[in-house]
Order: sequence, then C-alpha cells, then structure tokens
Amino acid sequence: MPDKTPLIQVKNLDLYFGAFHALKNVSVDFHSGELVGLVGDNGAGKTTLIRVLCGIHKPTSGEVWFDGRQVKEFHPKLAIDNGIETIQQSVGLCDNLSIARNFYLGREPVRRIMGIPFLDMGKMRDLSTKVIREFGLRDNVSADDEVERLSGGERQSVKIGRAVEFKNRVVIMDEPTNHLSVREREHVNELALQLKEQGLLVIYITHDIFQVHKLANRIVIMENGEKIEDALTSSMTADQLEEVIRQGGRKVEKREAV
Amino acid sequence: MALAALKPLVRRHAEIGIFLIAALLVLWFSASSDGRWANFYNLASVLQVTATLGLMSLGVALVIGTGEIDISVGSTFGMGALVYLWLALRVDPALAMLAAVAVGAAIGAFNGLLITRTGTPSLIITLGSLMIFRGIAIALTEGFSFSIPYGDRSGATYWALGGGDLLGINTALVWLVVILVVLTVTLKMTPFGNRLLAVGGSASSAHSRGVRVDRIKLAAFVLSGVLAAFSGTLEAGKLGFADGSMGRLMELQAIASCVLGGCLLAGGRISLIGALVGAFVLSSIQSYLVVMGVKPQWFMLLLGIIVVAAAYGDRRLRNWSVTR
Ligand SMILES: Nc1ncnc2c1ncn2[C@@H]1O[C@H](COP(=O)(O)OP(=O)(O)OP(=O)(O)O)[C@@H](O)[C@H]1O
Ligand SMILES: [Mg+2]
Repeated sequence: MPDKTPLIQVKNLDLYFGAFHALKNVSVDFHSGELVGLVGDNGAGKTTLIRVLCGIHKPTSGEVWFDGRQVKEFHPKLAIDNGIETIQQSVGLCDNLSIARNFYLGREPVRRIMGIPFLDMGKMRDLSTKVIREFGLRDNVSADDEVERLSGGERQSVKIGRAVEFKNRVVIMDEPTNHLSVREREHVNELALQLKEQGLLVIYITHDIFQVHKLANRIVIMENGEKIEDALTSSMTADQLEEVIRQGGRKVEKREAV
Repeated sequence: MALAALKPLVRRHAEIGIFLIAALLVLWFSASSDGRWANFYNLASVLQVTATLGLMSLGVALVIGTGEIDISVGSTFGMGALVYLWLALRVDPALAMLAAVAVGAAIGAFNGLLITRTGTPSLIITLGSLMIFRGIAIALTEGFSFSIPYGDRSGATYWALGGGDLLGINTALVWLVVILVVLTVTLKMTPFGNRLLAVGGSASSAHSRGVRVDRIKLAAFVLSGVLAAFSGTLEAGKLGFADGSMGRLMELQAIASCVLGGCLLAGGRISLIGALVGAFVLSSIQSYLVVMGVKPQWFMLLLGIIVVAAAYGDRRLRNWSVTR
C-alpha cells in the first residue's frame, strides 16, 4: 500500500477549541482498501480528528489532502460530495424527523413538478424501509416513525445502515458498535471488512482493542491530541497494543527499544 | 373509553389544542354576547385582523421552526406599511407593495446575517432591530403624513392589497389562505422544508449531514421579514394611513399565536395552521372585549390572562394525550 498515493493525507494538523489544544501536530495517511483502527483513551482526540476529515471542524493549522487535492473549505457537504460517509458518535439524527426523512437529509431525492422540487417520499420510504429491515429493526418500527421513539440500538442501526447504503469511497465509523447487541456487532464488523474488500477506505474508532486488532490491518493510536503510534497490525499482538494504550505515550519508545 | 381513542391524534397533532380552544371560545362568545360578536360584520373584521396577524405569525413560525426567534416583526410590519403608503400614490401600488416586501426582506437578511455570522442569540439581535426600525418609523412619520385619500384608492391593485372585500371579507384573507397553502406544502413536501425542520431539531446533526445550516436560518429570517412587511402592506391598504407606532406589540401577539398553535419554541416542531388558529383566537378575544364594552385599558390584562389560561389548558391536554 505505501507505494500508492494516499487517499487522505493529514499534514501537521493542529486544532484548538478556544484555548484547548485538541489536536497536536497530527500527520497521518489513509489509503483506499485499508481498514484503519483508530484507538486511544477517552478524550484523546479521535472524534475530533475524524470530524476534521468529514468537514465538521476546520483545523487551526495544517493541511488535509483528499485524492491528491488540498482541502480548502471544510463543510460536511463537501466531504459527502467527495464520497466520505461517516457514522458519527453523538450527532447525525434529528429526533423530530422520521427515519425516512433523516435517511436522506441533505441529499433528498426529488420529483420536479413545474420545475419545483418535491420530495420523492415514496422512494425515501422504500429504500429506508429496506435498509432498516436489513439492519434488524423489527416490524413495529416504520420508516415514517420519528427517530425520537427509537431505542439506542435502533438509532445506531439507522446511522450504520445509512452510511453503508450511501457508501462511496470512505466510510468512517466512530464507535459504531455502541448500543448494539452481540449479533448486530458481528454484523457491523463483517460489513467493515466487506467495505475494505470492496476497495473502500474504512476508519474504525473503537475501545474494543481485541476486536479492532482482529479487524484492522493498521492501527493508529492517539493520546492527548497526539498520534503516538501508527503501525501495521501484524507488527504487534493485541496484548502489546493494549499495553501501549494503557501506558500512554510514555512507554512507546521503551517498547520499541526492547 | 371513546376519548382514549383520541389520544394518539392529539399526540401527533400539537395544534389540536388550539382548535378546541377556538371552538369553545366561539361558542362562548356567540352565546354570551347577544349577537354583538357573532354577526357577519364583526366576524369579517375578526377575519381581517386574523389575516394580518396570521401572515406575520406564519413567518415567525418558520423562524421558530429553525430553533430561533424573530421579535422584530412588529417594526417590520410598520416599515412595510410606511413604504407602501409612501410609494403607492407617487409611483404605483403594485410596485409599492414590492418595495415594501423588499424592505422586509432586507430587514430579515440584516437579522439573519448578524445572527449566523456572529453567533449572537436571535432574541438579542431581533430585539435590537425591533427598536432600530421602530425608531426609524417614528422618525420618518414625524411631520409627514403617510396616507392615501379614500378617493385615490380605486382600482384592482388597491382592492387586492387589503383595500377591498371579496364576498364581504377583506381580500387579506385570500392572501392568507394562499400563502398558508404554499408554505405548508413547502414545509412538508420539499427538501427546503425537510432541512428547515432538521435544523430546528438538531442543528449539529443537520450540519453533519451536509445541510447549510446558516443558509436555512437566513432564508427563514428573510421569509419572516417578507411576510411581516407584506402583512403591513395589507393593513395599510385597508386603513389608508399609518403612523410610526403601527404594529407595536404585534410581535408579541404573533409569538403567542405560534406557541398557542403548537409551535415548540425549542424548534423543529411547528404547525402553520395552528399558528393561524392561534391568531384567530387572539383577534376573537380582542373583538369580544370591544363588543362587550370593556374599557381598552383592560385589554392587555384580560388578553394576557386568557392567553395564560389557554396555554395551560393546552399543556394539560398534551399531558393527558401521553398518559395511558
Ligand atoms: N466542540 C468542542 N469544544 C471544546 N472542546 C471539545 C469539543 N469537542 C471535543 N472537545 C474536547 O476535545 C478533547 C477530545 O475529544 P474527542 O471527542 O476527540 O475525544 P475521543 O478521543 O473521541 O474520546 P472518546 O473515546 O471518549 O469518544 C476532549 O477533551 C473534549 O472535551
Ligand atoms: Mg469519540
């Protein structure tokens, strides 16, 4: 993979929330066909990093390159147009809208009548119904139901189903198995592998070290806003990986020296 | 119980409360006023007031839908009226209406740009523009009279812009119905409407899905300004004159109409038809107080009490609808 130019290139990224330094000089490459595990403590900056990639946050300094072009304007619309689908950790669904309306939010299919764009509700309902059934939502939930009434797992399934349905070049999963039952977890992990096999770039954030060690071909570890490790999964055992995260950045040098 | 079957309906439609309140008030006012309230002439005048207040409320409801608030509409209403009266005779009534609407759009854009660019709460910004444009209206009317003599108000345009009646009811009501239908269709059946409600439901989620949140909010404020100014035009068309205080305190009535009509101030859930029925309830109460000979100084007090009671009744109804 290193011989190809990376699909996403992050160079010397810094991001401040006010005075808080959330990302510190982060540089990392991502290639098509990779499944990269992004791990690290709570508050390490994983979500913040991928939110730059999907256009939600604008970095304070540093560069992001996508497919050989430098990203100048950061907005989720542009990232989505570039083919980046994201399963967000805490946002992504509007409680007051139906599943079908959430599914297509921002990319609504329309039928024009006298030039005026009307929502193609039939299409919105049919596809979102098909997807939520595939993702295990039972018949008592319809695509016309407001998201407000869904359980945590049902919401997560809607977000995952949507990302997979609209998959294009990159799928970013921020703790995708949260709220999910054992069976649904397996389903999601299988999907992540399938997407990788199809040649997409998958970035997978999780706290489940052993799971991500099985899935990912590369692991990036963050700590306190810094990238402290970036290595092929084959170069370490799951136990070593866990040890690095537990020790934080302090022990990395030592471990490599051993 | 047969009543229990109504619960899901009430839950789904927040505007049902205001429909019930409206029906009860109509019955009460008709029964207790000895024909002074429920006669064609008086009801036609209630509907005219409903139309102007309702148009303003529709705009405010859209802004509330995005999770913001617009309290500048009373002044925008006044500016619309003044611009229309100033230009109608000198230039042409149709062009005067367009100019009034353009001024309303400009005030809305002023609000919307300040709010989205600076991140300042809309309550503060629109409170500021409420005062700014009220001040301008008062300054403009000092020493000048803004009026169109009755004799000059002939022709189809004057008639259509609130200056005439259709079947005995002011033409403003026709505008109201048409605009209600257009906006309801826009809200429920177009991508713009979907995004507007999404922004009010969760701006950060809408943003993460690629919705241009700032543009949606700006559009809502512009629509609100346009509707308030147009409503002012229709009122000026009916009265034929205006002073600097035209539309004062109307912003509060418009917000009350929206809230009574089932619009959630937190955003994301609004009912346009509900806001209209809210406006109808407020204008009905006012006219009832007039025909019953209540002294004007008691209006505000009584109106306020009835609004609080109606809001309370509505809350009770909604709580009932979610019990088992
Ligand atoms: N919008 C924001 N404003 C201010 N601080 C923020 C904001 N978003 C994140 N932070 C802070 O930045 C740090 C990194 O947060 P981030 O969400 O990226 O962590 P994370 O690695 O995803 O953690 P977790 O595993 O708990 O999801 C945290 O300390 C958090 O409080
Ligand atoms: Mg996170």
